[in-house]
Amino acid sequence: MKKIHLSLILLAAFSLVVSSCNKDIEEPLREAYIPTKLDEKGGTWKTYILASSDEVAVAEPKAAGSTEYQAEIAKLKTTISTITPENKKAVAYWGAGAVYRWNEIARELAARYNIPPASNAEGKYPVPDATKPLADPKFPFANPPYVSRAIAYLSVAQYDALVAAWNYKYKYNRKAPSKNDAAVSALLPVSDLPSYPSEDAVVAAASYTVLVAMFPGEVPLLDAKLAEAKNARIWGGMNVDSDISAGDALGKAVAAKVMGRAKTDGMSGANNQTVNAAAIANAKAQGLKSEWLSQELPARPPMLPNYGTVAPWNFDKATMIAMRPSPPPALDSDGFKTALDELKKIDKGQTREQARIANYWSDGAGSYTPPGHWHRAAANLCFQNKLSELATARVQALLGTSQMDAAIACWDVKNYYYYPRPQQFGLKTSVGLPNFQSYTSGHSTFSGAAAHVLGTIFPTEAEKLTAMALEASNSRVYGLIHFRFDCAAGLEHGKKIGQAAIARGKADGSGL
Amino acid sequence: MKLLYKLILVLVGGVCLNANAQMPHDAIYMNKNSICIAATYSNSQWKEYWENNLKRENFNIGTHTMQSVMPMIAYGITKRLNLLAGLPYVATKTSAGNLMGQKGFQDLSLFVKYNMVQSESGLSLHGVLGGSVPVSNYVKDFLPMSIGIGSKTLTTRLIAHYRHSSGFYITAHGSYIFRSNIKVDRDAYQADDRVYNTNEVRIPNATDVAARAGYYKKGIQAELFIDKNTCVGGDYIRRNDMPFPTNNMKSTGVGFYGKFQPKNIGFTVMARRVIDGQNMGQSTTLSAGFLYQINFRTKSAEAAKKIKIVEKINHRKYASPSSSLIEQGAVI
Repeated sequence: MKKIHLSLILLAAFSLVVSSCNKDIEEPLREAYIPTKLDEKGGTWKTYILASSDEVAVAEPKAAGSTEYQAEIAKLKTTISTITPENKKAVAYWGAGAVYRWNEIARELAARYNIPPASNAEGKYPVPDATKPLADPKFPFANPPYVSRAIAYLSVAQYDALVAAWNYKYKYNRKAPSKNDAAVSALLPVSDLPSYPSEDAVVAAASYTVLVAMFPGEVPLLDAKLAEAKNARIWGGMNVDSDISAGDALGKAVAAKVMGRAKTDGMSGANNQTVNAAAIANAKAQGLKSEWLSQELPARPPMLPNYGTVAPWNFDKATMIAMRPSPPPALDSDGFKTALDELKKIDKGQTREQARIANYWSDGAGSYTPPGHWHRAAANLCFQNKLSELATARVQALLGTSQMDAAIACWDVKNYYYYPRPQQFGLKTSVGLPNFQSYTSGHSTFSGAAAHVLGTIFPTEAEKLTAMALEASNSRVYGLIHFRFDCAAGLEHGKKIGQAAIARGKADGSGL
Repeated sequence: MKLLYKLILVLVGGVCLNANAQMPHDAIYMNKNSICIAATYSNSQWKEYWENNLKRENFNIGTHTMQSVMPMIAYGITKRLNLLAGLPYVATKTSAGNLMGQKGFQDLSLFVKYNMVQSESGLSLHGVLGGSVPVSNYVKDFLPMSIGIGSKTLTTRLIAHYRHSSGFYITAHGSYIFRSNIKVDRDAYQADDRVYNTNEVRIPNATDVAARAGYYKKGIQAELFIDKNTCVGGDYIRRNDMPFPTNNMKSTGVGFYGKFQPKNIGFTVMARRVIDGQNMGQSTTLSAGFLYQINFRTKSAEAAKKIKIVEKINHRKYASPSSSLIEQGAVI
């Protein structure tokens, strides 16, 4: 019986040990840094929407020696002395950078809302309703064009608001609390950047304003993030209240102006499904034998067929039409047969490496989409290179506008040629089939633009970024949802779109 | 949906392992030095699934089918300590839509079963330790097409068994299944209502419980069972989204298992239908297996002597009301 008991005890003990194993996921920590450059002249950089960096007025702050400011410093010291471990965690989290974190939050919301509506009992797909964002289907359906636009406006608002903030920072030149009073113990590294108005509050308020408009069902979450972002600067001893409130007001005012463009950029007509008939007729008139058809059951209307008419950032409509890639191979041509044969070969024997690449870049439903993928890469590059908040926002704005331009131009091409998907020729997919036309590849267009923008700003990374873009482009062939020529044309088209963003960047006065 | 299979095929030691002379969840043992080799074909299909708790069908999947062939080997280290190993080859497909089917060798499983308590009354207790590891780098998060979720598992199980001398028996078991985190091809994914910026995916642990009642005598076994497989935590399939390995998958199934093994060659059949679930398909599984048992001890005179002794013992046990399936190892 002793042996029996021992085996029972061992079994129980083993079960207990096994069940208590720690499986927590660890993600890289992001520690705050002092920027390599403060970009002192940032207040003169060219803005996207603001006519000038002082278009929104910010009142002169109380001087460092004033009783009002001293009272704020005293209050700050009291606050610092009473912070909790949770407060400290928030300080460290936001210490990674305001633009860094708000971009990450935007990607998270993008992923959360990136699910196509389900068909209803009548076999129809209800259109998400902005006035009922949490109903089924949720609003928005954050597909790649939607996300490219949401993050473009987010980044532009952050950038314009920071240019304005930099103008006032160096105009009023009020130093950080810990530089004015050595007894203020800041939890994060403190640079010589003037602290009024707070750049973190500017970014928080601008980001909040854009994201509430883009993701109206997430107001409670965004309220909490906004409050925490601002409080963290106080808890960390980085800003006094007046730094924060001035930044908050400036960020909100600038973002409201930026959202003025969003309201009139043509997005409200992007899902106009009545354009399809004319587009098909036009493509057929040019010789298309059989047009793209939804492969879903029931057939789903194409994703945002009129998105190509939304207003681009870095070029005008005429330029966009002039940049349009030349027609894809006719369906009875050798060029088409070669491309289809390549896919058939992969269909029969997809290698594990091909599957890996297809999966790594899939960025499909439930993900932050290809623009999100590239914004993450940009955020990490800015972080690694210790860019200032302003310079980080500039990178994200250049990238963001290029990604929205890529979506607009690519959707114009897709709708113009109305080319069928490989699945209309009997192929399966290992990544899920997007519900819109094949030519050109959206992934390739986004990636071509992103690699050019980021590779120009970070030249030592250019080779790697170009290779990444090529892999992203190839991934759509490996996943069997694009022909080779869809991807090659998209990548080339994307590069031209990236060049337009860079042309603007070179002329924005940053000297970068 | 893949987890369905994970839970059924491997963790519960279900459909595939069912084909054998013994299973990681029963009270049947091989004699010392006996070897049983088996192969089972299983076919599991579902048309409806639970998207979180919403039962639905999907016109872009139609009927989802997972087929497997599982070679397996069982070995009697002693009459109270047996070893079981199996490795299924799995293939998936759908009847509609355009998702590419996946196929390949899945996870190698190994179980040790020990008869811890054996009472004269026919009651017995058994402990099982087991584990599984993927043998190939299959895609883990292309659900419901993936052939597995790629987790390494460790299983601890307690089995209580009572067998009456008439051949009727009841069995109950409970298990805790540790499942390791996995690495997927992408480096960001959504789970728990947030985005994880890493390729590591947390896989919830799982439990399984089952109750069985049946008859087993003279090479004939017939059994009805009910089982419940439950993840310990995990998230849910969001509205109209695809399943993901982090999902809290649950299923309750009922089924029949039968075995006919007059001598050293035997056949098994199994049917299981999921009657309730969450974050997985309402599958119907049918399987059929073939098994062949070898007793090496017959090859020497000394071994033959031992066999006689064993037979004597067995004879005595049959006559007594306390005989259990364990003592019947020699005739499996």
